Amino acid sequence: MTKQKKYWKGLAELTNDPAIESLKHNEFVEPIPTEEFLGDEKALTQSTTSRRDFLKFLGFSTAAATLAACETPVVKSIPYVVKPEEITPGVANWYSSTYYDGNDFANVLVKTREGRPIFIKPNDLSSATPNARVVSSVLSLYDSNRLKTPKKKGQTTAWSQIDEEIVTRLSDVDGQVVVLTNTIISPTTNAIINDFCEKYDAKHIQYDAISYQGILDANQSSFGVRAIPSYHFDKSDVIVSFGADFLGSWLNVGFEKQYASNRNPKNGKMSRHFQIETNMSLTGSNADVRIPVKPSEKLRLIENLYQSIIGNQSPDDRLKDIYSELLAAKGKSLVVCDSNDKDVQLVINAINNQLSNYGKTIDLEKPYYLKAGDDELVNQLVKDMNSGQVGALIISGVNPSYTLPNAEQFNAGLKKVSLTISTALSMDETAQYVEYVCPDRHYLESWGDARAKHGEVSFTQPTIQPLFDSRQFQDSMLSWSRSNEDYYTYLKQYWREKTAWSQSLHDGFITISESKKSPTSFSGNVVSITQNSGDLELALYQSNSLGDGTQANNPWLQELPDPITRACWDNYITVSATTAREYGLSNWNNNDGSMDGNVVRLTVGNTTLENVPVLIQPGQAIGTIGLALGYGRTSSGKVGNAVGINAYPLITNNDFIAPSNVTIEKMEGEHGFASVQLHHTMMGRSLIKETTLSEYIKDPKAGNPDITFYTHKGKLFADEVSLWKEFDHESGHFWNLSIDLTTCIGCNACVVACHSENNVPVVGKEEVRKSRDMHWLRIDRYYSSDMTEEIAEEQGLGSVSKYKAMEVPSENPDVAFQPVMCQHCNHAPCETVCPVAATSHSAEGLNHMAYNRCVGTRYCANNCPYKVRRFNWFNYAENDAFDFNMNDDLGKMVLNPDVTVRVRGVMEKCSMCIQMIQKVKLDAKRDGRKVLDKEAQTACSVACPTNALVFGDVNDTSSEVSTLKEDERQYYLLEEINTAPSVFYQTKIRNRKA
Amino acid sequence: MQKESPIREPLILGNKSYHDITVDVAKPVLAKANKLWWIVFGISLVLFIWWILSVGYTIGTGIGVWGLNKTIGWAWDITNFVWWVGIGHAGTLISAVLLLFRQKWRLSINRSAEAMTIFAVVQAAMFPLIHMGRPWLGYFVFPIPNNFGSLWVNFNSPLLWDVFAISTYFSVSLVFWYVGLIPDFAMIRDKVNEKYWPLRKKIYSTLSFGWSGRAKDWQRFEEVSLVLAGLATPLVFSVHSIVSFDFATSVIPGWHTTIFPPYFVAGAVFSGFAMVQTLLLVMRKVVGLEAYITVKHVEYMNIVIMLTGNLVGIAYLTELFMAWYSGVEFEQYAFLNRATGPYWWAYWSMMTCNVISPQLMWFKKLRTNIVFTFILALFVNIGMWFERFVIIVTSLHRDYLPSSWSMFSPTFVDIGIFVGSIGFFFVLFLLYSRTFPVIAQAELKTIVKSSSEQYKK
Repeated sequence: MTKQKKYWKGLAELTNDPAIESLKHNEFVEPIPTEEFLGDEKALTQSTTSRRDFLKFLGFSTAAATLAACETPVVKSIPYVVKPEEITPGVANWYSSTYYDGNDFANVLVKTREGRPIFIKPNDLSSATPNARVVSSVLSLYDSNRLKTPKKKGQTTAWSQIDEEIVTRLSDVDGQVVVLTNTIISPTTNAIINDFCEKYDAKHIQYDAISYQGILDANQSSFGVRAIPSYHFDKSDVIVSFGADFLGSWLNVGFEKQYASNRNPKNGKMSRHFQIETNMSLTGSNADVRIPVKPSEKLRLIENLYQSIIGNQSPDDRLKDIYSELLAAKGKSLVVCDSNDKDVQLVINAINNQLSNYGKTIDLEKPYYLKAGDDELVNQLVKDMNSGQVGALIISGVNPSYTLPNAEQFNAGLKKVSLTISTALSMDETAQYVEYVCPDRHYLESWGDARAKHGEVSFTQPTIQPLFDSRQFQDSMLSWSRSNEDYYTYLKQYWREKTAWSQSLHDGFITISESKKSPTSFSGNVVSITQNSGDLELALYQSNSLGDGTQANNPWLQELPDPITRACWDNYITVSATTAREYGLSNWNNNDGSMDGNVVRLTVGNTTLENVPVLIQPGQAIGTIGLALGYGRTSSGKVGNAVGINAYPLITNNDFIAPSNVTIEKMEGEHGFASVQLHHTMMGRSLIKETTLSEYIKDPKAGNPDITFYTHKGKLFADEVSLWKEFDHESGHFWNLSIDLTTCIGCNACVVACHSENNVPVVGKEEVRKSRDMHWLRIDRYYSSDMTEEIAEEQGLGSVSKYKAMEVPSENPDVAFQPVMCQHCNHAPCETVCPVAATSHSAEGLNHMAYNRCVGTRYCANNCPYKVRRFNWFNYAENDAFDFNMNDDLGKMVLNPDVTVRVRGVMEKCSMCIQMIQKVKLDAKRDGRKVLDKEAQTACSVACPTNALVFGDVNDTSSEVSTLKEDERQYYLLEEINTAPSVFYQTKIRNRKA
Repeated sequence: MQKESPIREPLILGNKSYHDITVDVAKPVLAKANKLWWIVFGISLVLFIWWILSVGYTIGTGIGVWGLNKTIGWAWDITNFVWWVGIGHAGTLISAVLLLFRQKWRLSINRSAEAMTIFAVVQAAMFPLIHMGRPWLGYFVFPIPNNFGSLWVNFNSPLLWDVFAISTYFSVSLVFWYVGLIPDFAMIRDKVNEKYWPLRKKIYSTLSFGWSGRAKDWQRFEEVSLVLAGLATPLVFSVHSIVSFDFATSVIPGWHTTIFPPYFVAGAVFSGFAMVQTLLLVMRKVVGLEAYITVKHVEYMNIVIMLTGNLVGIAYLTELFMAWYSGVEFEQYAFLNRATGPYWWAYWSMMTCNVISPQLMWFKKLRTNIVFTFILALFVNIGMWFERFVIIVTSLHRDYLPSSWSMFSPTFVDIGIFVGSIGFFFVLFLLYSRTFPVIAQAELKTIVKSSSEQYKK
């Protein structure tokens, strides 16, 4: 051991002089005269600042302010004192759950990070896949407009006090006690409500804002079962839909997967899908044959079809194919209809019965319980309320002041009810007229169960601590019934007897053995359903983004472009070009790329709506107008209020069509649309390659010829004429994404999933109008045009008139969807032009974007042939000009911590969910294995209900995507410019007679 | 001593002696500014302030205050950039190329043309900076050693080439201009009375680097000028070629065109000469330099304008031909859309101003008419701005996928920055005209005995 040398400052230190010891403790040898200075009050108060001092102060404060401004604000993260066992920071936990809001139903898996749910994806055990609205529901949890405490007459109050008062008043209420809810599919909730009803002699009324009573009553009458049958689109070779938008908004129970499973041309067999409808619906746009008709005409055709099948009439010209194909596919066909008229549904039942579809493609033994509403009871309730017979009304899960056509009567009646209680999540249209508002919990904070279908049960479990002082509806009911139990115990008790509770909760979806329903054989009194047709007929529909309007305050949904019209932040009446000409209506594009249109006064019966915008919709039946429900909320919150027009008052006789008494009148003024797509045709370019099934069977490469170039070396393929030095894609992973245009139905689930996973900002209507939407993934929608290259040649048209005609879509066009995200080109035009190399290529075939490095020249976006790059024109987070979820502390909780929130001035784009890939790679590395096929996914491929998006490693030859890459249908978008993308498409196949 | 044929028209009018030239050139520097100067300067200053506010607003708020969108990522910003760079070209061409070709008529105009170059390049250089989303990180585009990790600039990017091209061009032009100024600064230094203007004397003394007019000074001056002219000449061609690469190397129909380099250079000279005309026709009047900037000078420049205008016209037609001949539908549509699409007016403004109007220069009467020349020069300036607008915006607004097609419309900030940059330019130019010798008098004096009217009698 070496001895440490020691140095002294002087002899005094060596000798341990006490003076030295004392000096060591004083920082300054001589005391600082602070006391003297501060004690001299006179000097302090009277001293005047000299010019020199002033300048010093000025200099110092400027420098200090500048320095302070330079410093990045420090956000402290607080570690757990006691770490919860199941939470590891940075590692996501997944919980199964169930979404049901009365309109949409889905079995989901919820991703939580550090105790916050941030992403919703399908639960693969079930076929009830989440649609765009369900995927967005995670943001509604963090809605800052949610009620934070229980309220009495608008004043905050405590639960104990509220319960006390309610129970007292319920016990000696004068008049009927009514519980008004949406359809309850939860067995336990039903039991709780029944207990409550018994105790207070109350009545439980179920109300569906979007009523399906026609089907329910028709089935009651035909088969003695009041339920929605299970439909099997997967077993149907011929699908005939009279207006039912089963891929978009009809029943919302996840028919997408079923439908797509029978649309794979690989086996040489596809279902043939006929759609006879008024509005251009998502389902209609996917149909092989689409017949636009007026609503009254539709009824005539239904009747004609029935009469032809039973041999009383010959089929209408338009129905000839349908008729013969249906007869040829008895027991393998399916006829559905969206009408809410019992008589119409009876005819549909009779048709299906004639076609022997019951028990094969339609199953009433295992029906859906998703709809049980009874409009008569609701109407009676409104009458009873007004006549003072109702003493107490508890409203849960419904918003009748908004969704009832006679909402005014309802509101008037509400004043005559002495005790009114609502369990709304936010101060909605109904809650604001109600005395006690007892906020329910969002489903992500709740316990629950659901029996959507006979024999199938799914569970809801909380994924976060309740954000506010709220209480589940069930708990409220239990406490008002004076039960000592809480709902969680109740639920557990209930199911523990029937199932393995923990496992069921884990799976989220179980099948239970129940004795099947026993429908009687068909008996029905088919009456004539034809109605007189009007000059103008109205058909209401649910928009893809908002559905029935429950989640109107969700900015992701408001900014989600309609898959057909491509407009967002709006509803509008849709009219055909012919009808528009008749009324002198038009849409036009402005110099800045925004779209404007005329407005009209719309009168239906006694209801008049002013300033209704008009959007010209190819495929809309001539002489009809469509209008979306779910808009025009007045009390949904800061985002959803005053967006669009409330169309619920136009519902007549509980049906969503108005065949007569509809008039429109052009008004002064214009309306600005927020449309993300201004040109609707492909202009003769082969962007979406398509062919028919019969051609495909003959030659799988039909419609997808190789692109060749004439060179001095002869004909060469696009990728052989290249100046590029190739990247090495043989070793390691090579991530590719296949997009099947045949099974892509344009449902938008992927768009919202991408929004959610990648913290894509919402920019608001004005910015969307300026073509500045930020979607990383968009679904381009193209209409066919009457003008094609061939026709132009035939008619000898010049190029100018040819292209002009090509811009105009047909009156009843073919529709094709094409999801476009960053194509991750392996010869990327963006990568070469970035001066600072902020966007560069990965060894795994991906195009990276380093936000930190980006200086924002936008050259990459200009040079992107696919126009998928999005620029941050402003700061979209923490900016009052963009007052959406990223501008409030609550809304920011939905942000994915794995993905940077981009600042203004940088370019962003699809990263192929690099954070998800990275996670999978790390998992595999930790486990010492290879990455499995399907393990690595992107948000869009996860969300796709039809498996149209397949992601994977093409270097793994066993992967599905590598097989798809070799498929004859495979092609690259804009292959001729040799960008060699990592994303490829599969040709669209229509099952249509050549 | 130069000899020149007596039938050539004189380049200096009136009976100007060496002393007269000195007095004429020094006058604007030494005398007080007139009212007109103050008015024009005032307007320019207001525009310049508008520019400052617009740029400040942009940097403070975000590029979103411009009219750009997801489809059109560049519009007026890069249009202005290319326009200003183009304008700069005439100065270098006049001083460098014409020096090498021994064109003596350049002597009356080269000083101001070069000043215009410097000031135009200053304007141009602003745009790549302020068009960035994060201009405070603009230094990322320089290959400076850094500790950000293994980060380096992307030498494949034409924007990076621009950085080098513009900075080289600016520095060489500045040095060339300054070297030429030394004997003239010395002249002003000698004219300034130290008793009344001690500061001025000091400044001009410093600026003239102790020029004494010795034979050695002159010999070195000539040598340096020649070397710099040799250096600057390739720049005349390279700078705008490189600027054109921003477009030519891309994949966008309407941009991806191999003809761009020569086409852009011709266009640059074309617009540059038009700007020289615009400036000098006013200046010769205001500062009283009619004797030095004669109708002959104007005519020479008009001939250059006519020549380059025709080159540009040929380029336009070649583009159309190639689009048709290529058989590529995207290319064909891009050019059809230029001429007949929503921006047809921009295309036909460009065609009228740049191709049709210069044809009038075939008439000697017109090309020697000062007023007509001035109007035509304005036309060309406008036309060349439209040319860049057409190339940039109409190519971007409808490219490959019709789903993304959109339109562009400028905001008041776009307009402010463009008009403001003209104000900024004039602020610089007007300050220059009051403090710098606006004619290279020392060099001009070398042709008094060969090309002035007096000696031609």
